[in-house]
Amino acid sequence: MNIVVLVKQVPDPEVVIGIKDEGKSLEIEQKFTTNFFDEFAIEEALRLREKHGGKVRVITLGGDKAVEVLRKCVAMGADEVLLFADAAYLNGDGYATALALSKATARGPFDIILCGKQAVDDDRAEVGPMVAQFLGIPHAGGIVKLDVVDGKATADFMSDGGQETVEIPLPALFSAQKGLNEPRVPLVTNVMKAMKATIPRITPQELGMSTDEIGVSGSKVRADRYRLPMKRRKIQMIAGEAPQAAAEAVRILFEVERAL
Amino acid sequence: METALVFVEIKGEEPRKVSLEVLSELRKLTGGGGYVLEAVVLGNLPERAKQNILVYADRLVHITDAVLDQYTSEGYSLALARYAESTKPKLIAAGATRMGRDFLPRVAVLLKTGIASDITEFLWDEESLKFIRPIYGGRVLAEVYFENRAGIVTVRPNAFPLGTPGGVAGEYVAREIGMMPTEIKSKVMDSRAAAKEKVDLTEADIIVSGGRGLKAAENFKLLEDLADAIGATVGATRSVVDAKWREQEDQVGKSGKTVSPKLYIAIGISGAIHHIMGMDTSKLILAINKDPNALIYDYADYGIAADLFEVVPVMTEELKKRLGK
Repeated sequence: MNIVVLVKQVPDPEVVIGIKDEGKSLEIEQKFTTNFFDEFAIEEALRLREKHGGKVRVITLGGDKAVEVLRKCVAMGADEVLLFADAAYLNGDGYATALALSKATARGPFDIILCGKQAVDDDRAEVGPMVAQFLGIPHAGGIVKLDVVDGKATADFMSDGGQETVEIPLPALFSAQKGLNEPRVPLVTNVMKAMKATIPRITPQELGMSTDEIGVSGSKVRADRYRLPMKRRKIQMIAGEAPQAAAEAVRILFEVERAL
Repeated sequence: METALVFVEIKGEEPRKVSLEVLSELRKLTGGGGYVLEAVVLGNLPERAKQNILVYADRLVHITDAVLDQYTSEGYSLALARYAESTKPKLIAAGATRMGRDFLPRVAVLLKTGIASDITEFLWDEESLKFIRPIYGGRVLAEVYFENRAGIVTVRPNAFPLGTPGGVAGEYVAREIGMMPTEIKSKVMDSRAAAKEKVDLTEADIIVSGGRGLKAAENFKLLEDLADAIGATVGATRSVVDAKWREQEDQVGKSGKTVSPKLYIAIGISGAIHHIMGMDTSKLILAINKDPNALIYDYADYGIAADLFEVVPVMTEELKKRLGK
């Protein structure tokens, strides 16, 4: 079984974020981690390989620093990794990113594509469904269970207010939600080995893409400027013993805020 | 005249509230005329939903191909893209529900256009059409626009108020788009509704959320009682869900749901950043945590630094009294 995993390296959720150039760009503390949801995707790929045999190929679109996420995948057990090696790939919208990832995926055989349900930096949740559409294959989003038998996958996902099970013939794409599995922690010896692994890179030319199809140039949605959300007013603590404070809170909700 | 197309999602007998919020907001923005506000429903359309939608739109287009009675991302994306290709709307909008966010990115690829997901504001004037979308879990707001003329947006539930219906019912059009069953490879095997019929967290007006401070799963009864008194939905933090005190679908935060209710009551919640990211856009926040230095107080409007086990039951009683229950 040929499995492709699309991963992303993202700023750590607790990094300091500032705004510069009068709102034209962001200044983000340089501290990175693997996207939370992608770890479930990698783990599921490795489990599928352990059960059905085959190969796990991991692809990431990112800058030089993204080499770290691929080393982690190697340490966890990925067979092949691939990094997009050109700054021109960066800062694209969902469309440009998904187009490049779908082309890289299609360079080899694939039965199953796995990715996280969304990246926790851009919060777009677009790339999974878009890669599936670029490749003309079905997908199931935000899955919490996946079984593969005879070229057919059965997947469970949470809908708004329930749970659904779908049956999808392969090839297909699945995006992973928390609850799919418990990602493994790689052995220290494997981490050491992964540090020395060569990380192959691919240029836009090798992918058969012109620079106006990728990154910002290839984007259909552009960011104009950034700003910080409005700060909430200063908190008002409600004093008094618990019962009095509780009654006062209810009074405020009704009479001051008219929230009820 | 230009068309603004709104995909309306049906749940049970009714349109999703967020779909009507999107129609209301677009009605307001395009109120000056020059636009046809068109609602599109794919598959089953109960009579009650139909009547409800008609007063929010100039036209309701009901695409009736049988394969659309069951939601699949392939079926819905092909049908909507085909319809949009024939009418060329200036904007396609939908609620940023699980379904909307699942299939509209595919529509964007089919139409070779951009998509701005989970927007919270329209910046619409004569010259330009821009949108605000929160990124980094709401820590930054990005102002985005489409490179081309047309584009797709999904709109965060509860970001806009539900308007009063226009009064004049729009026109109803039923049509087939010519979907072949063979075009859809995925098959829904089973669809189980949640045990309790309750308002989804993302669409709730009031949320009562509990954290580790509740100490045990059974103590969530206190929150359930409070929620029942005011028609709220109960949410939970990640650590509570990880401890299996509550279901995954109750989780508010970075790895759970993003919510923007009118009132968010945080009980026994410390205020970890991944929780804040999921609820910071709530209009009014009341926090109850006996630790006066809890982080949650950096993000709340009101706070009660007392024992929740003493505060919550009294609040529930006081609320019932006020509401005549």
